Amino acid sequence: MKDQILQTLCDLRAYALAKGVEATFLYHEEDSYLMRFANSAISLNTNEHLIRLEITAYRDRQRASYEMITALGNVDEMKRGVDIAAEMVQHAQPLSYQPTVPTYTESFSDEDAYDPALATLSNQERLAFFNQAAAGLETDEIRLSGIFSCGMNTIAQINTRAEHTQYFKTSDAQISMVLSHTALKWEVLAEQSAQQKTDLNPDALRRDLAFLVEHYQHDAPQQLPLGTYDIVFGSAALSDLLSFMGYIGYNGGLMKRGFSFLSEAQIGQRVFSPQFTLTDDPTRRETFPFRRDLMGMPRQPFPIFTEGVFKNFMWAQDDADEFGAQPTGHTTPHDSIVLQGGDAAVNTLAELVAMPRENDVLYIPYLHYMNIVNPSKGLVTGSSRFGALLLKQDGAVVVPYNVRLTQSLLDIFGDKVAWLSQAQVVANTSMSYGARNPRAIIVPAFLQVNELEISHSNPSY
Amino acid sequence: MRKQLQEHIARLRDAGALYVDARWYPVEETNDLVMWNGNLKNAVAARESGVGVRVLYKGAWGFSATSDTGNLTALFDKALDNARVAAERVTFPIRLAEKDAIQASFTSPNQIDPFTVPLADKLAFMQAMDARLNQPGVFQRICNLTFIRKQIVFMDSEGSEIEKTIVEVFPSIEVAGLDAQGEMHSRKYSPPRMGETRGWETLDMEVFSANAERIVREMNEVLVADNCPKDVRSVILLPGIMFLQTHETIGHALELDRILGYELAYAGGSFVRLSDFGTLRYGSEKLTVRADATTPNSPGSFGYDDDGIPAQNNLLIDKGLLVGAITGRQMVEEANARAGKIIFEGSSGANRATSFYRVPIERMTNINIDPGDDGALDDIVRNTERGIILDGDKSWSIGSNREQFHFATDIGWLVEDGQITHVVKNSTYQGETVKFYNSLSAVGDRSTWEVCYVSNCGKGQPNQVMQLGHGVPVCRFDNVRIGE
Repeated sequence: MKDQILQTLCDLRAYALAKGVEATFLYHEEDSYLMRFANSAISLNTNEHLIRLEITAYRDRQRASYEMITALGNVDEMKRGVDIAAEMVQHAQPLSYQPTVPTYTESFSDEDAYDPALATLSNQERLAFFNQAAAGLETDEIRLSGIFSCGMNTIAQINTRAEHTQYFKTSDAQISMVLSHTALKWEVLAEQSAQQKTDLNPDALRRDLAFLVEHYQHDAPQQLPLGTYDIVFGSAALSDLLSFMGYIGYNGGLMKRGFSFLSEAQIGQRVFSPQFTLTDDPTRRETFPFRRDLMGMPRQPFPIFTEGVFKNFMWAQDDADEFGAQPTGHTTPHDSIVLQGGDAAVNTLAELVAMPRENDVLYIPYLHYMNIVNPSKGLVTGSSRFGALLLKQDGAVVVPYNVRLTQSLLDIFGDKVAWLSQAQVVANTSMSYGARNPRAIIVPAFLQVNELEISHSNPSY
Repeated sequence: MRKQLQEHIARLRDAGALYVDARWYPVEETNDLVMWNGNLKNAVAARESGVGVRVLYKGAWGFSATSDTGNLTALFDKALDNARVAAERVTFPIRLAEKDAIQASFTSPNQIDPFTVPLADKLAFMQAMDARLNQPGVFQRICNLTFIRKQIVFMDSEGSEIEKTIVEVFPSIEVAGLDAQGEMHSRKYSPPRMGETRGWETLDMEVFSANAERIVREMNEVLVADNCPKDVRSVILLPGIMFLQTHETIGHALELDRILGYELAYAGGSFVRLSDFGTLRYGSEKLTVRADATTPNSPGSFGYDDDGIPAQNNLLIDKGLLVGAITGRQMVEEANARAGKIIFEGSSGANRATSFYRVPIERMTNINIDPGDDGALDDIVRNTERGIILDGDKSWSIGSNREQFHFATDIGWLVEDGQITHVVKNSTYQGETVKFYNSLSAVGDRSTWEVCYVSNCGKGQPNQVMQLGHGVPVCRFDNVRIGE
């Protein structure tokens, strides 16, 4: 299949050259499987096999693209796409800068993050996984929801500047399991990410779910008073906060457009806690990495924050072209963000609950529907969901109703950070709007921040 | 192709499927143009086609889709196989509400198909819009034009065959500037739907010009304004934010699949319970809301849903009382069975999929609030003692059961003793849904009513983006927390 894909791209390149068209080609193929659960049943079992081709034509400073969903054998249709892109670019208004057309100096292929055993997981295996992870936890009132999403993702590229190709192939799985009470409406969550089949661990999911269900079943719920709390964020909440930071923080193009709480003057300055070290690390296969970007630039670990000091903005090629910056190898469908672990020897939720503490601590595993209130201040808002716990100073555990936080990322990751756990976990952050694009962020299992204010507290679930 | 699809549908019925449908997209085209500070950052045309097959077998759904229509046998077999496995874990066997078999077609009203308009003309329109935004104080200016045309052929094992051709045009402009502290503030405009059509003819440069001038002026006022005070006041929501308030805290809360727990793993549930229909006072008596898929010029009108149910206009909230939901064939049957009584007489025709490769789920149509009798905006302001007028969707965040919310807006105008006093920046408001709608104290008349569109409503797994609309008037709510 790989040979057929690359040969098709070579044929399209030859066609474009014969027509005198400067063009880049990006081929995307996905084989996606998703088993969805709701009310303890499989509510949907689906699969899609889709091939997309994106053709971008250039004419000096003009640029236009044509995209299609197609089939690999439909070369004539693809060639018509070349003709359409070539026609479009004639009319495209010239950019104020010179866009860079990639020139691959050698062919590159990376299938290290592809595991055929995971990509070809059967329906029965997905179902067996869920059954094992939920074993004994469901009742007439406690119902199972979730997804088991897995598949294969291929990206291949060529352009008219050189005959070399780039080829990336990954396998991935994203598992979310929710147990919820039909009458009381509480809900708890456990998640898992897999790049290879051996990453799958239904027993670990069951352990996390069972721990939370035990508390939510038996501990009295409580509406929390408004005020400040010492808060421990779990991995899902942390990865979501870091995803927002990627948007309104260290993205060079968005910074230049005013959508950032960071400025160029802050490079080399301490912005966050000395415990905060954030890296884009494409050597971590759990992040479904791109070891070269789509422009052909080799990617190495890229420090973003080191011990709280801001090191650099990420620059994608088009932003770098527009603003006169140096591209940093970040013309990619996603990055490979890793937040370094800390000193705290707390690896599981059970260990967190058992941990001695001087004050009450609010554990928030997940932030629902986060959004940006003010990008210039790094201000975001979201609500706790999926299994928050109030860990009392005396060791007791209280189940709180959900609360809202409206806080700046500068505060969350600033000097109020108390500790980070040593253990890291992989938080799968894939969203399958449009083409499959598996991605994950590696974060400490827990991070405690002191004295954060909650701005709303629900009176019930 | 149609004959082949019919044969495969019949074949799967013979193999034991209770129900089969196929949605064939001969073509779906999109054209997305983005101009940022005068640079044409995106000039993208796209085309896709394919088939999605949905199979109900022993009370469970299987679905499969492909862009390669060369092997329909494998596609249909895979959908059935997926359903067979799903049938191994069934708690409430899926039933579908009754419907009539329909042979019909629908074409969304438009005078000029945007795909017949040359790219050069579209870009000339964008350049003209951009020129009008290029004014002092403007740091960033963004113009966006999106065009969609899709042809959908729906066929099912109950004898329906429906063909739809839907054309959409989504334009918007936005400006942003930096205040003295270096904070960015933006103001945007998406034209409300006017007239009876949805094509290229809806793009009126005069309307854009007037509103470009307005949003630049208002943005410059925000740049020198004080911060929104932290306070409790009446909030007067203009359609530019009221549509989103409606969308997030009425529309999503009343999707029946959410109410029944089918979105708990992702989008969330709803505070609404089945026992609330006919009993819950969702809002004050001034609140009447309907799901109207017959609004002619809005993307929430599509003729027939992806269950093959004709478009309807149904009450959701009648003078404050919850009476209806956004439903499809599957969910109404389950809801009635769970409730042990008939709550829903049948599907409300709101089951839609975003593409051939996604399965239909409950989606909003046009969730509209009826105009009231409290006059025009000036009348409402005149009758407000301490308030704030809010407009522009800057940020929105909603609780997982839609029970509470936090919104930030582009602009606010403080109101004291019936007079607008001054503009404020960083305006926000928050509340609890039922308490908020029960504080609804004024609803503007028809002159304040606008049909706004949503082009990117996300829901479902695999994720789906859907287009829909909201016809809303100016509304005033009392005792609302602002400025946090």
